[in-house]
Amino acid sequence: MSNYPDVAGKIVRDYMERVESHLGLVPGPEREEFLREVDSHLYEAYQRMPGEDDVARILAVLRNFGEPAEAVSDRLPKAMMNSGMKRNLPLHIVAGILIALFGIPLGFGGVAVLAGILMSLAGMVVAYFTATASLLMAGMFFFLLALVRMYQPDLWDRLISLGVIQMDKEVALIVEEMTPAGQGFLLILFACVFIGAGLGMLWLGKHLMRGLRFLLVLAFDRLGKLARNTRRKLRASGWGPMRPWRAHSHAENAFR
Amino acid sequence: MEYQEEARERRITQLRKGILELAVMGVLYTERHYGYSLIRVLAERGSLTLKEGTIYPILARLDREGLVRSEWVESDQGPPRKYYVLTLSGRKLFDELSREFDSLVSLVEKDGGLERTEPVGRKLTVRRG
Repeated sequence: MSNYPDVAGKIVRDYMERVESHLGLVPGPEREEFLREVDSHLYEAYQRMPGEDDVARILAVLRNFGEPAEAVSDRLPKAMMNSGMKRNLPLHIVAGILIALFGIPLGFGGVAVLAGILMSLAGMVVAYFTATASLLMAGMFFFLLALVRMYQPDLWDRLISLGVIQMDKEVALIVEEMTPAGQGFLLILFACVFIGAGLGMLWLGKHLMRGLRFLLVLAFDRLGKLARNTRRKLRASGWGPMRPWRAHSHAENAFR
Repeated sequence: MEYQEEARERRITQLRKGILELAVMGVLYTERHYGYSLIRVLAERGSLTLKEGTIYPILARLDREGLVRSEWVESDQGPPRKYYVLTLSGRKLFDELSREFDSLVSLVEKDGGLERTEPVGRKLTVRRG
């Protein structure tokens, strides 16, 4: 890199990095030579550019030179062809066939496993809240029965005679020993136990949902990181598409 | 109206880019130049409103096709410069292209009714001497 004043040097470095990013597929020596040529051009143009303000001068030079994509446009197709030729084509064909034979079915299998895990988790959540709702409903039913037993004894007897309320013989004998108010309190006790259990499960369910959400976010975050790393590695090895612009570079801003 | 102006500019740019290769070959016909000096010569000879960076793909293409020869030369004013000069096959091609260009210009003159005293292509061939 030629000698520039600090800020101008930084702008040129950013610009040269942008040019270089376009030359990812160009073979090393050819890339270096082209970068030297552009550097030489920019330096000479900068030296001859009139003005006092270094930044304004270098920005004018870069504006005159144009976008890096224009300067490298003729080098990429050949470089891409060479890049494909340099890699072992038969090996890639074999790799492609292997991926088609095993990778795609395994990929489908992986997707199926993932879908299965998600569905089983959803099933667990549904079952959990169904059980919670059942407990709450059972508690309310016992509470209703308790009220009937205490305040509507005729209706209670009728329900027993109709077979709506049934008890085991041993249980019935014990219950018969109790007064109607005692039976009512017993039913209220059962109702409290069921409603308490239901409310407890509802409270735990909130934490369960938070835990599941955390696990899912963590899993997708890890998968996202894995995908990004893989994409970066592929791009670095010249397989993926090149990202054309570097963000937040001074030289880039000069063209906006 | 705005679109027409834009389309006109695009066509002019395309036309200039098309001719630029021939102009570059014309400049390198007898003199060796590096990228920056080549651009300066082209700018002095006529209106060069193209971006300077567009010259390098042309030089790279000519170099790849063996139409120009290049060499690095140290400079006491800064970094080394890469000089280009037209090869023998480049000169032959330029002569052919120049003739073709003249005929194309005359075709445009007939159809467009333009009045030119000297074809542009001939200017290029005159300059090489």
